[in-house]
Amino acid sequence: MKLQNIQYYFREVVVSMARNRWMTFASIGTVAVSLFVLGIFLILIANMTNLASELESQVQISVYLKDELKTQDQENIKNKLKNLTNVTEVRYVSKEEAFQTLQRRLGEKQKILEALGESNPLPNSFSVTVKIADDVQKTAEIISKFNGVEEVSYGQEVAINIFDVTRLIRVLGFVLMIILTGATIFIISNTIRLTVFARRKEIAVMKYVGATDWFIRWPFVLEGTVFGLIGGGISAIALRSFYSAMSERIYSTLAFFPIVEQHPFMNYLTVVLILSGIAVGVLGSTVSLKKFLEV
Amino acid sequence: MIHLKNVTKIYKDNGVVALEDITIDIGEGEFVFIVGTSGSGKSTLIKLLIHEETATAGEIFVDNRDVIKMKRTEIPYLRRSLGMIFQDYRLLEDRTVYENVAFAMQVIEAPQQIIRRSVDNVLEIVGLGEKKNHFPSQLSGGERQRVAIARAIVNAPKLVVADEPTGNLDPDTSRDIMDIFKRINDAGTTIVMATHDKQIVDSMKKRVIEIEDGHIVRDEIKGLYEKIGKKDVVVPKIGSNNQKFGAGSVRR
Ligand SMILES: Nc1ncnc2c1ncn2[C@@H]1O[C@H](COP(=O)(O)OP(=O)(O)O)[C@@H](O)[C@H]1O
Ligand SMILES: [Mg+2]
Repeated sequence: MKLQNIQYYFREVVVSMARNRWMTFASIGTVAVSLFVLGIFLILIANMTNLASELESQVQISVYLKDELKTQDQENIKNKLKNLTNVTEVRYVSKEEAFQTLQRRLGEKQKILEALGESNPLPNSFSVTVKIADDVQKTAEIISKFNGVEEVSYGQEVAINIFDVTRLIRVLGFVLMIILTGATIFIISNTIRLTVFARRKEIAVMKYVGATDWFIRWPFVLEGTVFGLIGGGISAIALRSFYSAMSERIYSTLAFFPIVEQHPFMNYLTVVLILSGIAVGVLGSTVSLKKFLEV
Repeated sequence: MIHLKNVTKIYKDNGVVALEDITIDIGEGEFVFIVGTSGSGKSTLIKLLIHEETATAGEIFVDNRDVIKMKRTEIPYLRRSLGMIFQDYRLLEDRTVYENVAFAMQVIEAPQQIIRRSVDNVLEIVGLGEKKNHFPSQLSGGERQRVAIARAIVNAPKLVVADEPTGNLDPDTSRDIMDIFKRINDAGTTIVMATHDKQIVDSMKKRVIEIEDGHIVRDEIKGLYEKIGKKDVVVPKIGSNNQKFGAGSVRR
């Protein structure tokens, strides 16, 4: 590309944006608003998915050990647990620790434990976190057959319900994302089609005097890039302040609700929005141009 | 310069046979009128030359380029080698006279200094040097057509094609425009002009190709708008006109 051409392309973009001021304003506004709406839903979807993972990670297998087990045997079981493909983390919970946890949970009612006197009826155990929550049942079955394991429990019914819910959340989120992305692309490329349409005479004249397709296309591609960049940037800035306000509100009222941390999530989202703005801008202008280039 | 052999054009969408078995040869430096009634196929012929439409059958060569076999990417280069002028001027309303003409050079990536010099020069030729900063809306029809002509010739093409360039102009203005075409032709540029403006054809005494229903019915060197036989019928009415315009060109 010749330097003179690059200068020409940029000047064309600036001049055209100044000439079609309202069109430019409307296009950038459309890009910003549609990407903002898309961004809101992406935030929602990310948080739903996050919630799903959070719920799933709470699915753990408690492996209760027989009382008379030697330290060596315990080590063996621990190693065997760690070697299972579906296991990510194994934590030893001594009977004392289990007792303290129980006390804490009972809170006010811990007096009922006094009836036990000094004896601690709870077993030693391993708390096992699984990688694929769906396979928790299979994994639990395998573990229950280990020597020295007294009993295995993973809150069966609860776990199965959670999986139904999280699967639904994931599928819904995915479908929503596809639909919204499609709608955004449609709206933006339609707006850009209007700016191309407004300049169809100019394009026809360029064709008549022998401009190559790429020479005609470049200013539009650049213009699409600028629209996407500015529109995407505006939507990202708006979303960042929206999300930080929302996060604060949630922290102060629903502290236990697991929301996605602002960093680095919002940085990714910013990049995604600006890049999709540019992609849609460029694609939209190229596709809309196609019809007018065929003279 | 132009070579057409057995060219047929059928419009696909409505099946109209706009041209059938057309064979024409036009040499360098010629001035050729394509005449015929409305709907006879004049514009179609022009469009085939500039590859705005593609011929259904036959051979078309323009400046040694095979217009029919040409790839899409070669079309811009065909168009750079010729200038085009239309009845409706096709100027860009939001650009000045100067910018409209310069545009034709910018899009073929000519250097800036050359653009400035050529545009000024060509605006002098068409007599619009004074109005180069006007917008098309501030110009008369004749002046607009001058801008279009300036744009068509600014890249010094060997061939200029024009489709009814005087169609929207009154007779006096048409005559001025034809003077410009004549000067361009005198400088060696080939000109092919579709028209049904009888006065200008008769005044120029150039080669006339008449099309009727998509067929060539006449190809005459130094012809008039109508066949001799036909012309006799209307002699009284156009006689004086002929004399008036004839004087200038006869002397030549
Ligand atoms: N784009 C088109 N699609 C279909 N038919 C067309 C098209 N352009 C012209 N025609 C038809 O082709 C014939 C010749 O038209 P045209 O070349 O425009 O004639 P002229 O310029 O002599 O008036 C007419 O019957 C016209 O209706
Ligand atoms: Mg016509």
